[in-house]
Amino acid sequence: MSITAETAKAHAHDPAVLCCRAEAGITIEPANLEDPAIFDDLVDSGLLNLDGCLTIEEVLGAKLTKTCDSLAPLTADVLEGVKAPSAPAAASEEAAEAAPAPTAAAPAAPAVVPAAGGMLKIHIGEGKDIDLQIPVGALGGGEAVVAEAPAAVVAAAGAAAPAAEQEPKLIRSLTRKHFNITDVKRGPETKIDGTTIYIREGIEKECIDSQKLVYDLKIEIIKPEDYHTYSETIMDVQPIATKEGESEIGSGVTRVLDGVVMMVTGTDANGVQIGEFGSSEGYLDENIMWGRPGAPEKGEIFIKTQVTVKEGTNMERPGPLAAHSATDIITQEIRECLKKLDESLVVSTEQFDQYRRPGKKKVVIVKEIMGQGAMHDNLILPVEPVGVLGAKPNVDLGNVPVAVSPLEVLDGCIHALTCIGPASKEMSRHYWREPLVLEALHDEEIDLCGVVFVGSPQINAEKFYVSKRVGQLCEMLDVDGAFVTTEGFGNNHIDFASHHEQIGMRGIPVVGMSFCAVQGALVVGNKYMTHMVDNNKSESGIENEVLACNTLCPEDAVRAVQMLKNAMGGEDVKAAEKKWNPNVKSSNVEAIESVTGKGLNLVENEQSLPMSKKRKEKYD
Amino acid sequence: MGNVQMLLRQHVGAPCAAVVKAGDEVKKGTKIAEPTGLGANIFSSVYGKVTEVTEDRIIIEPSAEQPDEFVPIDVPEGASKLDMVKEAGVVGLGGAGFPTGIKLNINLAETPMGELDPEINPELPADFKLDCERGYILINAAECEPGLEHNIRQIEEQCDKVIRGVKYCMEITNADKAIFAIKKKNQKAIKTLQKALENEPAISMHLLPDIYPMGEERAVVRECLGVNLTTMQLPSAAKSVVVNLETAAKVAEAVDEKKPCITKNLTVRGKLNGGNGAHVFMDVPVGTSVGELIERAGGIDGKYGEIVMGGAFTGKSTDFDAPITKTTGGILVTVEFPDLHGANVGLLVCACGGNEERMREICEKMNGKVVSVARCKQAIENKPGAPLKCLRPGNCPGQVKNNMQFKKDKCEYIIIGNCSDCSNTVMASGPKMGLKVFHQTDHVMRSVGHALYRTLKVSKQVSQDIDF
Repeated sequence: MSITAETAKAHAHDPAVLCCRAEAGITIEPANLEDPAIFDDLVDSGLLNLDGCLTIEEVLGAKLTKTCDSLAPLTADVLEGVKAPSAPAAASEEAAEAAPAPTAAAPAAPAVVPAAGGMLKIHIGEGKDIDLQIPVGALGGGEAVVAEAPAAVVAAAGAAAPAAEQEPKLIRSLTRKHFNITDVKRGPETKIDGTTIYIREGIEKECIDSQKLVYDLKIEIIKPEDYHTYSETIMDVQPIATKEGESEIGSGVTRVLDGVVMMVTGTDANGVQIGEFGSSEGYLDENIMWGRPGAPEKGEIFIKTQVTVKEGTNMERPGPLAAHSATDIITQEIRECLKKLDESLVVSTEQFDQYRRPGKKKVVIVKEIMGQGAMHDNLILPVEPVGVLGAKPNVDLGNVPVAVSPLEVLDGCIHALTCIGPASKEMSRHYWREPLVLEALHDEEIDLCGVVFVGSPQINAEKFYVSKRVGQLCEMLDVDGAFVTTEGFGNNHIDFASHHEQIGMRGIPVVGMSFCAVQGALVVGNKYMTHMVDNNKSESGIENEVLACNTLCPEDAVRAVQMLKNAMGGEDVKAAEKKWNPNVKSSNVEAIESVTGKGLNLVENEQSLPMSKKRKEKYD
Repeated sequence: MGNVQMLLRQHVGAPCAAVVKAGDEVKKGTKIAEPTGLGANIFSSVYGKVTEVTEDRIIIEPSAEQPDEFVPIDVPEGASKLDMVKEAGVVGLGGAGFPTGIKLNINLAETPMGELDPEINPELPADFKLDCERGYILINAAECEPGLEHNIRQIEEQCDKVIRGVKYCMEITNADKAIFAIKKKNQKAIKTLQKALENEPAISMHLLPDIYPMGEERAVVRECLGVNLTTMQLPSAAKSVVVNLETAAKVAEAVDEKKPCITKNLTVRGKLNGGNGAHVFMDVPVGTSVGELIERAGGIDGKYGEIVMGGAFTGKSTDFDAPITKTTGGILVTVEFPDLHGANVGLLVCACGGNEERMREICEKMNGKVVSVARCKQAIENKPGAPLKCLRPGNCPGQVKNNMQFKKDKCEYIIIGNCSDCSNTVMASGPKMGLKVFHQTDHVMRSVGHALYRTLKVSKQVSQDIDF
């Protein structure tokens, strides 16, 4: 399709191809040119050959000397008055001369970081203020997104506005006291003895009896030597933690057990796994991506319940909720013991401080959580970290945005019932260790004002209802930038896109984070979806049913924060490549490392695990 | 002669209300219906007796004798020309049917130039000014629907009447100039006009290339004046009024003869006994049935596909019993449709051709299954449900993206309704992608012996020299 003057400007360095037949003698205008966004497809299918094709900026205003048909690439031999190309060609020359890394002491020294395949812009600041912008390609985005697909850029430190120095303001603190657990056993009563948990024999019956829909519940204690044990699909991984005294979620003191996690697994009475898009049943060691924020660490002991819910309720909200509630009876007994543990058993203490940073760019994190019903629900703000009691299911709240503090997130304010694709779902433990919240909280260049959870409803009308509230909220917050994250892919991308639109249309830059890659390619898009970080880690860019494989990790958080800083600084981001290209991420990471001087250790993916039969047959 | 059916809606606007009842005797020129809102008077086109008045039509049984005399329009002594045009029930006979009395009710001298959208007028200088003092009458003589010939025939045969009508239009609207927009291929008509305009310095000709669409109102403005109007703008934004030449002739009849608008010129053509040449019928009484006209033209030659009322691009399918109206320009009998055996079909809907409903009808008649519908980027729906209008008539915005959609939706065939330029663009990528292309006018073009709309082989520019 023909393009506008605006599009022509944005694509000044892209090939100039006639959209329609044009007659000799005409002056080339944007309306004569085809939209470069579709060229990849055309070249792929052999419809277009761009050899010798001039760029849009070169041909605009030139006179066509020969009548050419639709989709003819404009070359020098059919034009008169071609303009000289600008910037990018020159940039590659400069990039060739390796330059010193940016140093504060080198006024006006060109700082160059070579970027694989991308174009390089160089900005030479004065004095201490040297910043770089290195568009190095794009992320995520499959065929469905074409024009609006995600992209990435990296900025040097210092993107945040250098406003007058104002003192950071401490809002509140949260202390985590860690207790170590080295063994879990069954016994006549639930207790913690030193570093050993004893779980009362016969507690299963109470768990079963507590929930009408729970037909059976088995407890298995999985120690590292038992990791090669078959398990039904993993519905959740939860920290065992409790509040001390009168403190509430998000402040005061939290006690947490190290070396052990709760794990909820289950099926319905017909043996159907409780999960929607895929499930992670199989040998635990083949189906858990160790060390993801939401997953167990290698070496931890799992207190694993295997819950059987009434047949057919695996796909209804009450079924999974019953499984979680039954499991929480065990967790709660352990919490009670944890409350009483002697202070001398504390092995380490962590403190999280929530600062507001006046004068810095104000940002908000919008986390889209599943709220389609069935097993897609989340309990918000229980009394105990990742508890059940006192919490409200976000589906019952109408999925409207709920504002929480970053510390509430890290203190287990979300009990995740979600059971979307195992690889991209965010377990309860994910929020406990949420990398983006941690990254933004600790970044002194931005002012993280809070976290907004918004549910992803089932039907489109409701999706737009809640996304409009998100937009309004961001408007009221007067933020300079926003992150929008989501879990899963497909249906939820509709509201994910709408959140971008609602926030973006208010002039607020947005960075989106989602699993996309190949299988999760965005199904919808809009002009505000320009900054996107792909959470994919899998080798083939797919939902591989390995627990938490494709969830948001520190390496993604770092990229997103850098990208938002750039976006807020008004830097352009290179448009996405046509097809998912994992190299984009590595070049971005490389660029960040060169600029910040800090190494980023990328997490491993499923290839580090023993190959499961399922994976072998279905995926790799 | 069979019964004459006078539709109560033959124009843009609301249906008229009948002012006669069953049993009334009527003459040629007896007023039988009046506007209830936007509209124009309707007069009986025959001598006869009203047999029935239904919700949408008045049915008249014609007398055996049909003298040429008619009842003149009822206007007071000294009535203005505009009042005569209004009273005569003249509407845009080119097909649009906008009441002419309302269209001409404008003082072009006092009409300011509209604001021109720079996006679609990139080459217009900032200080652009029209080359007129007060305004233009632009005479649409493009006769753009392929296969029709009655407009050009009228220039050849009734040039003086047309020019008189044009002068009346100029007088009514206070225009100081008039331009005939006519395709250069119509050499005889151009020569006739050239001669007739020898002593008319205010009236000139603008020659058009033989591509579709040139007769679209805003295309006429653009070709004659070099100004692109938005889909929301009327020609008055370019200090102009566009009238079809047949309408101009009717204006002359209303003023000179006090004759109401009761007849229509049209072309009957297609798969008819005796060949596919054009049968031009002048002054056919409005309300005559399609079947009767087909018979007058020789009758249908064997099996046929459909009968189109109007032109191949913008006409609709009709049947033998349907009556012609003030806006009917063509009756086209087509060859049979190809059978696609239920294959997947994509429709490319555009402002130049049929609407989606018409395209779907054609697809159904071809036994295809619509699996994808795309709309030309330039086809603008000014209001939801309003007919599409093209942003830059005859200048393609690119079509490859639509073809990609069709390919993705697994179409084997596509049916397009595009103009010459857009069809050419579709052809640049469609067949290479493996899409088999039909144009919605194919069956009509085959029937009238016109080239199919595919690739464009002629220039969109023609020299203005009368060099033949």
